[in-house]
Amino acid sequence: MSARTGSFLPPADPPLVAPAGPADPEVTARIAAWLYHEAELLDDGRHDDWLDLLTDDILYQVPIRIHKEVTDSVRVTGVQTNAFHLDEDRTSLQMRVDRIATGFAWAEEPPSRIRHHLSNIRVRHTDHDGELAVRSNLLLYHGRWDRPEYELLSAERHDLIRETDGGYRLARRLVVLDATTIPTLNITFFF
Amino acid sequence: MQGSNVGQGVRGEVDEVLGEAARLLPGGEMPAAVFNDRGIFERERERIFGRSWVYLAHESEIPDRGDYVLRYIVDDPLIIVRDEDGEVRGLHNQCQHRGMQVCRSEAGNASNFRCPYHGWTYRNTGALTGVPVEKQAFGETLDKASLGLVQVPQVDTYNGMIFGCLDPDQVGLAEWLGDIRWYLDILTMRCPSGVEVVGAPQRWRIDVDWKIAGENFVGDSYHTLMTHRSMVELGQAPRDPKYAMYGEQVHIPGRGHGAMLIGAPPGTDLPPFWGYPQDAIDRARTSLPSAEQFDVAYETRIMLSTVFPNLSIHNPIRRPDHRYEGSIPMMTWRVWNPIGPGQVEVFSWFVVDKDMSEEFKRLSSLSYLRSFGISGTFEQDDAEIWTHIARNAGTFSGRNHRVNYQMGMELEVDEQWPGPGVAQPANFTDANLRSFYDRWIEVMR
Repeated sequence: MSARTGSFLPPADPPLVAPAGPADPEVTARIAAWLYHEAELLDDGRHDDWLDLLTDDILYQVPIRIHKEVTDSVRVTGVQTNAFHLDEDRTSLQMRVDRIATGFAWAEEPPSRIRHHLSNIRVRHTDHDGELAVRSNLLLYHGRWDRPEYELLSAERHDLIRETDGGYRLARRLVVLDATTIPTLNITFFF
Repeated sequence: MQGSNVGQGVRGEVDEVLGEAARLLPGGEMPAAVFNDRGIFERERERIFGRSWVYLAHESEIPDRGDYVLRYIVDDPLIIVRDEDGEVRGLHNQCQHRGMQVCRSEAGNASNFRCPYHGWTYRNTGALTGVPVEKQAFGETLDKASLGLVQVPQVDTYNGMIFGCLDPDQVGLAEWLGDIRWYLDILTMRCPSGVEVVGAPQRWRIDVDWKIAGENFVGDSYHTLMTHRSMVELGQAPRDPKYAMYGEQVHIPGRGHGAMLIGAPPGTDLPPFWGYPQDAIDRARTSLPSAEQFDVAYETRIMLSTVFPNLSIHNPIRRPDHRYEGSIPMMTWRVWNPIGPGQVEVFSWFVVDKDMSEEFKRLSSLSYLRSFGISGTFEQDDAEIWTHIARNAGTFSGRNHRVNYQMGMELEVDEQWPGPGVAQPANFTDANLRSFYDRWIEVMR
C-alpha cells in the first residue's frame, strides 16, 4: 500500500485528495476537538445537529470487508470497492435520521447505547486549500436491552474535512472496518 | 457479543416437541420451543441441513475458471469453485491429511489449494496432486486418487443459482425445487442474460432462529404496517393499512416453498412491473418463459419468496431515498444460516437483472442498501423484533407459548390463478407459513 494515498481504499468519487504532509499541532488540536464534538452529538443522539456538520455533497461509505490473502504487498486486505454496509449521501442520511425521529423505528426505540471512543487522530494537509485529510481510530460500543453482553466495532475512519464560513464540515467519510462478519444484529448507528 | 439467547433454551425432548407441533399445526399453532432449543437445532442440522438442497452462491460470483467463494452449511465450510474445466464444484474445506482448512480467503481465484500445515496440494477439482517428499515420507503406501478433497455429494444450478446437498440420496435439484421454479423464473429470467450478484455479501449475526426469518419472507406481509411504521411515516410505504393484503400468496404443497406477489392497492398509482423502466418490461415480454408469467409479473409491485429451507428473496418497488422522484426497484437474496439454537448468520446479496444499465444498477444497489440488509431502514426493525421472539422461545415458560398462524384459514383457494401451487387471492393469510411448517415437521420426524 502506498503510505501517501492509501491505495487499499476504494476509489473515491469525488476523488479523495492525496494528503500533502502533516498539519501543525494547532490545526490537529482543532480538528481533534471538532471530532470529539461530532462524537458527542452522535453519542447523545442529537442526530439533527450532527447532520449540520456535514457538507451537502458528503459521501459516507462503510465498505464490506472480507478475509483475504495479501496481493501486491498490500497487507490491508479485503476492503471491498463495490459492496457496502452503508453507502450514503446527505439526503439518505437525512432519511435515516428522520426515521429515528418518527418514534416508530423499533430498532432504536428504546435507543441503543452508543459510545464513540476516538484515538490516533492524524491530520494532513491536502493539495486543496481548506481541505484536510484526517484519519482516526474508532472503537464503537453498542449496547441494547437489559443484557450484560455488548458489541464492539473497531475501525479506521478516513475523513475529508472542509473549512467553511461556518467552520469545519465533514465532506467524506470512509470507514475501514476491522470486522468481516458483523457482530451486531443491525447497523442503526453512525460511525 | 449478542449471545444472550443461546444455550438458555431448556433442552426439551425433541420428539415430544415435534409431536406437539404436529398436533397443533392443523389448528394453526406451533409450540414456541421449536425456535430456540438445542435438541431441535441438532435434529435440524441432521435432518434439514444435512439433507436439503441449500443455496450457496450464484454463478456470477465465480465467472472464471479458478474463481471461488467460501460458503457454509451450518458450520461446514465449503469451497464453491469453478474448476479448471469450467465445472462448478463444492469441496469440503478440509485437508485429507490432518484436517486443516486448505482455502483461507473468503473469495479469490486459485488453480490449487495448498495446505499450510504439511503442504498437501489439491487441484481446484479437488484432486490431490502434491504431497511433499512423498516417496521418502510415505513410500508407495499413499492412495492419492482416493485422497482428494471431499466433494459435496450433490451440486447443481438453476438459472445460475448454485445449490448443494450433503445427502447423496436426496432427489435432484429440479425435483426438490418443483413448482417454485415457475416463480423463480419470474425473478431470474426477466432479461435474456438473467441476473447477477454484485459484490460480496453482507454477513452478520442475529440471535434469531432461521425459521422466524424464513417465515417472514414466505408469507408475512401482515407485519409491514406495524414493524415498518417508521417508513410508512416517511412515505416509503403506503398508509393504507390493507396495502400489503392485495395480491396473491402461493405455496407449493409438500415442499415448503412459497411466494408472495403483492400488487397495487385499488386507487393507487404505483407503476406496473415493480416500477422497472419500460425497456425492462419490453425485454421481459419475450424473455420470460410464458405469457402467464409475464402477465403475473406485470401486475406485481412487490415479490417475496422463501425456498425451503433457508433461501429468501425480496424484490420490491422502492426508491434510493425518501425524496427520490420515481421508482428504482431492488432485489436481495439471503441465506439464513443457522449457527446454533436461536442464532443465525445472515448472508445478504444484492442481485440485479444483468441487462439493466450501469446507472440503474448503481441506483438499485442504493435502494437495496438503504432499505434492506444489515443497515436497511426496513430490515433493522425486523432483526430487532425477531431476536426477542427467539429469546422468549428459549425461556422456561415461554417455550410453551403457542405461536399463532391462524390467519386466513377460512380464505378460499384462487382457482383462476394462472401459476402452479396453491394460491389464495390475498396476502393476509398464514397459508404459506402453515405449509412451510408442515414440510418442516415432516422432515424432522
